[in-house]
Amino acid sequence: MRWVDVKEGFKEFLEEFKREKTGIAGVLLLILLVLVALTAPYTTIPDLPDKWRSSAYWEDNPKNVPPTWYNMFTSQKLVPQVAYYSDELSITHPSSTETLIEAPYSFSKGYYLGPQGIIIRNINVTLNAPSKAPTYSLYLERPDGKTVPLVNNKPLTSSTTIAVGRDASISANIYVWLVNVTEGKELDPFQAQMDPIVIMNINTLVSAAFAKVEPGMKAEDIINNPEPLWGDYKLVLKIDNPTPDQNKVILDDIKVTFLGRSYGTMGTDYLGRDLWAGIIWGSRVSLTIGILVSVLSTVIGLVYGVTSAYLGGNADEFMMRINEIFASIPSLPILILIGATVGHVTLMFIVLLLVIFGWMGIARIARSMALQIKEQTYIEAAKALGAGNGRIIFKHILPQLLPYAFAVIALSVPGAVIAEASLSFLGIGDPTAVTWGQILNAAQAQAATTKGYWWWVLPPGLGIAVVGLTFVLIGTALDKILNPRLRKL
Amino acid sequence: MGYLKYLVFRILNAILVLLIVTFIISALFVKVAEQSNLAKMNDEMMQWDRTTGQNILRTQGQDAYEKAKAEHEQFLREKYELNLPYWQKVYNKALRTLRLDFGTTTTPIFGTNNVSDIIKVAVPRSILLFTTATIIVIILGIFLGVRAARHAGSAFDRGLSIFALLTYSLPMWWTGMMFLLIFAFKLGWFPLSSMFDPQLTGWEHVKDVLYKLALPVLTYVFVAFGGWAWTTRNIMIGTLQEDFIMAAKAKGVPEHKIIYGHALRAAAPPIVTMIIFALLGSLGGAIISELVFNYPGMGRLYWVALQQNETNLLIGLTYFFTVLYLAGVVIADMVYGFLDPRVKVGASSKM
Repeated sequence: MRWVDVKEGFKEFLEEFKREKTGIAGVLLLILLVLVALTAPYTTIPDLPDKWRSSAYWEDNPKNVPPTWYNMFTSQKLVPQVAYYSDELSITHPSSTETLIEAPYSFSKGYYLGPQGIIIRNINVTLNAPSKAPTYSLYLERPDGKTVPLVNNKPLTSSTTIAVGRDASISANIYVWLVNVTEGKELDPFQAQMDPIVIMNINTLVSAAFAKVEPGMKAEDIINNPEPLWGDYKLVLKIDNPTPDQNKVILDDIKVTFLGRSYGTMGTDYLGRDLWAGIIWGSRVSLTIGILVSVLSTVIGLVYGVTSAYLGGNADEFMMRINEIFASIPSLPILILIGATVGHVTLMFIVLLLVIFGWMGIARIARSMALQIKEQTYIEAAKALGAGNGRIIFKHILPQLLPYAFAVIALSVPGAVIAEASLSFLGIGDPTAVTWGQILNAAQAQAATTKGYWWWVLPPGLGIAVVGLTFVLIGTALDKILNPRLRKL
Repeated sequence: MGYLKYLVFRILNAILVLLIVTFIISALFVKVAEQSNLAKMNDEMMQWDRTTGQNILRTQGQDAYEKAKAEHEQFLREKYELNLPYWQKVYNKALRTLRLDFGTTTTPIFGTNNVSDIIKVAVPRSILLFTTATIIVIILGIFLGVRAARHAGSAFDRGLSIFALLTYSLPMWWTGMMFLLIFAFKLGWFPLSSMFDPQLTGWEHVKDVLYKLALPVLTYVFVAFGGWAWTTRNIMIGTLQEDFIMAAKAKGVPEHKIIYGHALRAAAPPIVTMIIFALLGSLGGAIISELVFNYPGMGRLYWVALQQNETNLLIGLTYFFTVLYLAGVVIADMVYGFLDPRVKVGASSKM
């Protein structure tokens, strides 16, 4: 084949491909997918796979909440996540020993409940005089003029993380305030902490702080069925540092998070992980494995089939028996077994396994095609001129099968993607990677379907479906153009 | 090659594969069992040393103790088969598996410890689910495919093709999860778990089984019928262009008879092979789908065995999967050879 012919043929092929609408759609989808996969570190969180399994990294996120845009479809709106860093907070010093940190929070009209909780972290404290340690208090100023005391004069250490909605003593303080306003009673905060109501409602008591609370109302009704009090709130953190020269409080890294009841583009899972980032990163594994497995198994299958056909006789018989043995092994159970037995599984190992159990069909078809090509006169001529077996196979027979190979590669990508996702779903996957199958595995383990967490189940599967569809579209278009003969089954 | 000779050849081939797979499973599991058996032996050895061993040391002295210890270790090594070389153990295990002697599980499942009995409960359930679903898929697929082929290029035909392409890329188990979310969680039409109620008997039991089968079957049909219809359509379009169809048309045979009498019969061999391989293929997907639906069949059992590290049950199940699969392959070959006369003269066997 001369270079001009190749160029001519390619041009012709492009012309034809342009006429296949489905093929064009597939190529556009593929470009989009590749872009998404390549830009994942820049559009989401860099080196996500390292962070994915550390639950500490996701502590500032709400758990099991739907995406923010879901509010458009519901009557009861869910508040989004709000986070403040030191430059967005108002930090003042009323006196030399006092520091006030104020965070505004607007609870807009139409929302069903206030934030799920409030988390303040990264207060750096250097203690040189532990006996005179700094203390802190936390208040929530409400639009109706009432103030909820959340923390009263607690010692501040460098490991202090304030978690409203997860800390029992803070919930007890909210309960004490609630009873005080509604019934006028003064409860002892330490005893309130043991109260079964508080113990049961550590999480839900936060919504009481953002609800209508008037004298005469029943505290339990407010906890069970809070009526939202919309308006502008202010969270005030007061730090008393009696010896600012010795004990230093540095607020450069402080982060105040009002946990949402909805989060980001795709919501969060049971650890508070950002599912959107996970889905985006998952596309990398899916595309890589899909393409790698289908290319490798197609190449191996082609070479194997052609060699078998070309050698003929006993060698052919023997090679086809091996092929049949592989084809008859039920692959998924064996794959599960091998994965479970080996223990630590890497992505490359999964690729290897899928290739080992994926080349047989292609080899069979390649062989039957090569049997026809083999009989042609130019092969005889090449043989007569003294060409070796390798040269005939690689130079004369294989190039003829190439167009077929491209269609097969595209059409076998969905199967490989699904196979990898299936293995990951069963927990047999690379533990250092983020994949769609693993996200679905976690969803299944946490019974997401029976709890109605659709945002956790729907996107990964759609991702798999989109990758599959992309390659099916390209594959069928290629098939139509390159192998009109083969379309008949 | 005659049909019988061909058949014998296929069966021998299947048996060879079965032997190889059994060896692979045994080799894998003997490796796993070796480690856990060594741990078990060390535990027992320590236990013995603390009680009997110390006793002997006190009453009979150092020499007797050393001797007794060595004897006991030897006894334990034999008990846990640690004295045999690796390949000997693999051979023993494979031989036992081939004799269907799978042993027992450590914890009872379905009320029994015997692996064979557990499998006997689970296999019919899986077959029930997937046979029902596959029959529905075949009927629906062939009917719609033939319809699309008759009106090739119509809106119906194109719609079917798009649907087929879409469902081709969907993992069945994920579709199952979505169906659970929509039909079981949101709408409440179906149960969230397909685990049977063991209390019910008779007619009530049948009703319970049908109710719990409904959603898994629906999922399977939804995912599979598009591809079926599409393939049937492609085969039929090819067949409808053949000369004998033209001849029949020219003779004035009614269209209905041409389609279902002539064309479909000619297209039968590839369709029949597809039917058998669809049944076989569904076995693999069954593992995950049954897990998603919490359906108490073989697939879910496989998962439970894997989680609880029941090696004997895993070996038994894998062996069973393989036997079923190979039986299917042989049946497919048989039917194909029966329907397509060319196989009998050996043309296809060389393909």
